[in-house]
Amino acid sequence: MFSDVFVKIKTQRFKLVLFMLSLCITTELSAHHVLGRPAYSLNEDSNTPPSMQIETQIGEYYLTYMVFPAFPKPGESGRLNVYASRIDNGDTYDGDMTFSVRNDEWLKDDNREIIGTQQVYDGVYRQGFIFKENGSYIVTAEFQSGGEPYVIDFPLEIGQSSSMGPVGIALGTIVFGLISANLFQRKRLMREKIRSARED
Amino acid sequence: MTHPGLPDLWGIIVYCFMLLLSLWVLYKQSSMGDETKSPIKFICLSNINSLKPLIRYLNKSVWPLLTLKLIVLMFFLLVIYAGLNGTPIPQKNIATVLTWNIWWAGLIVSIFFLGSSWCAVCPWDTLANWFVKPRLWFKYKINNSLELTPPKWMRSVWPALLMFVGLTWLELGVGVTTSPYWTALLSLLIVVLATLTLAIFKNKAFCHYVCPVGRTVGFYSQLAPTELRPIDDDVCAKCTTMECYNGTDAIDACPTQLVMGKLTQNTYCTSCGNCVKSCPGDNISWRLRPQSYEAINSARPRWDEAWFMLSLLALTSFHGVTMMEFWEGWISEFAQRIGDSGQLLSSFSFGLIVSMVVPIGLYSLVVLVTQKISKKKLHFKKIFTGMVFVTLPLAFSYHLAHNLNHMIRESVGASQLFYNPLGLGENPPPLSDSLLKEYNMIISQDALFIVQALLMMFGFWIAIKVLRYRAYKLTLNTAVSISPILIFIIAVNGFNLWMLSQPMIMRIGMCITPIVTVN
Repeated sequence: MFSDVFVKIKTQRFKLVLFMLSLCITTELSAHHVLGRPAYSLNEDSNTPPSMQIETQIGEYYLTYMVFPAFPKPGESGRLNVYASRIDNGDTYDGDMTFSVRNDEWLKDDNREIIGTQQVYDGVYRQGFIFKENGSYIVTAEFQSGGEPYVIDFPLEIGQSSSMGPVGIALGTIVFGLISANLFQRKRLMREKIRSARED
Repeated sequence: MTHPGLPDLWGIIVYCFMLLLSLWVLYKQSSMGDETKSPIKFICLSNINSLKPLIRYLNKSVWPLLTLKLIVLMFFLLVIYAGLNGTPIPQKNIATVLTWNIWWAGLIVSIFFLGSSWCAVCPWDTLANWFVKPRLWFKYKINNSLELTPPKWMRSVWPALLMFVGLTWLELGVGVTTSPYWTALLSLLIVVLATLTLAIFKNKAFCHYVCPVGRTVGFYSQLAPTELRPIDDDVCAKCTTMECYNGTDAIDACPTQLVMGKLTQNTYCTSCGNCVKSCPGDNISWRLRPQSYEAINSARPRWDEAWFMLSLLALTSFHGVTMMEFWEGWISEFAQRIGDSGQLLSSFSFGLIVSMVVPIGLYSLVVLVTQKISKKKLHFKKIFTGMVFVTLPLAFSYHLAHNLNHMIRESVGASQLFYNPLGLGENPPPLSDSLLKEYNMIISQDALFIVQALLMMFGFWIAIKVLRYRAYKLTLNTAVSISPILIFIIAVNGFNLWMLSQPMIMRIGMCITPIVTVN
């Protein structure tokens, strides 16, 4: 589809786009991912599925966390990749990294479970996963460096989350507020009636 | 993805304009007294024969406003539904695009022409009203409100200022703008706040004291060319019933308790039109006035409002700073020094505080210098509140120029989202999408640069007009006495212009938030 779009564009325009791309190339790298915030990306040069990616910073390290596919479903196998490099010199961390997962939903047991300890391969820690149920989970990556323990939590959404929670809470709060105000109002009116009756 | 900044040529033109105008004002300030004698022209729209039937219909009928309210409400509910149920990819979900790229950016543009009209159709207020005071028919209505008087600490714009800082923190620190889900939650939260405030306090305390959007719109409306005012001041002077303030059986009183006969500023007017409908003498109407007349002449200085205006300037510039490429590096380095991790919210919060302290401190300093060099014994607070209006056009012009960048560059193809507002089954957009958007902008890039440069000149020009009149009112009539504030204006506008000339990071590009802890 991407190539179809470009075929339709006149050569001159195409050249301009390429020119702009070449101008932007240095800023693209620094601007595309903002620290600490996940981004969704599609690798247009290959057939890999869309991925969700978070770059973050902890202590001496920059960490990049990627989830394939970007929107994993229950029963579907997925993979997460973690890259850890030192902020000062860019050296890759090469010790072991342990991954665990827990529930991130209200009123649910967190059911923490270690899903694996991985070694670095080609600068990347790879951890596969399959979840049985929809839900919001927290993936924790743990490692030791310079005698310091590093614990990093990342969000992972499996399937579609329910939208009724926030709407229910909002409507519940409004209804509770209105009923309370109404009851208070009735009491106030009743008190006024009694007072005026006494005065009469 | 970054947007290119204003070319050097335009920057130089604006800087030259600022320099020439500054020299002119230093030369002309002593003759300000003669200029204030010329009468101000207002055009009452209901006095224009060709517009009379339309204005009369708009003033008297409830349907135009109700229809607009329903349309806006429909979009608002769509934002909530799409945000909660749609794709988390911000560019493919109508919740984020409609809220942050179109509404939030377009709102500021609308003030330039229509003042506080947005407040009249605001969906937060519409929903809150319908929840608390549902009308069964025209005259009879249920009232679930306790109608309490707001406590004294609340009767100022301090709550709105706190909310505004909080909104900025959520927007730029937490990244609400990049998450459809959090955008929907924020929308719901404000509906809850507006409803509960209306259920507890009398009139519209939320709009008046708490709403950060309403107060921002209100202050910027001092620069708008439209206002709701009496047609004949004498009619109001003789009025004893004051239906605009007290309401009638059928029409509610002014929600922010304004008396039309004494109204001098738009700050708290929500453009609801209740005064127009309730006035027995049909004496209230829309009228046109010289742009920024209110900020220059008629708005009255108040301590809390001065702080809001200064914060508005600080936070507007802060928006720009966070979209600069150097910002990320600074925050990262600072985070390392203090041991911050994850989304670096502590570091961001520190940056936010610094960004507010610097311009406010700078302004206080120039006020102090003005006080020292002026021959009259003027109180610090009097100069502080009297001259603060210069910040409004500076903030507004940069806000407009900055938002135009987002609106014109990032809203391309937004109409396509209506075919699939939830973005179901959509993939993240490839990099080429952003490049094609740049190429298919609504107006050409050169035209955008011209408009941005003109806006920066406009802001500076209005700030100079405000400076001249307000300084004259404070009896600061010499070139020396106005120099400190003039330097402040040049510094702020110069800095904002410099930011406009830098590459700017796109508003939408990422999503959700990671949670990070260090043991």
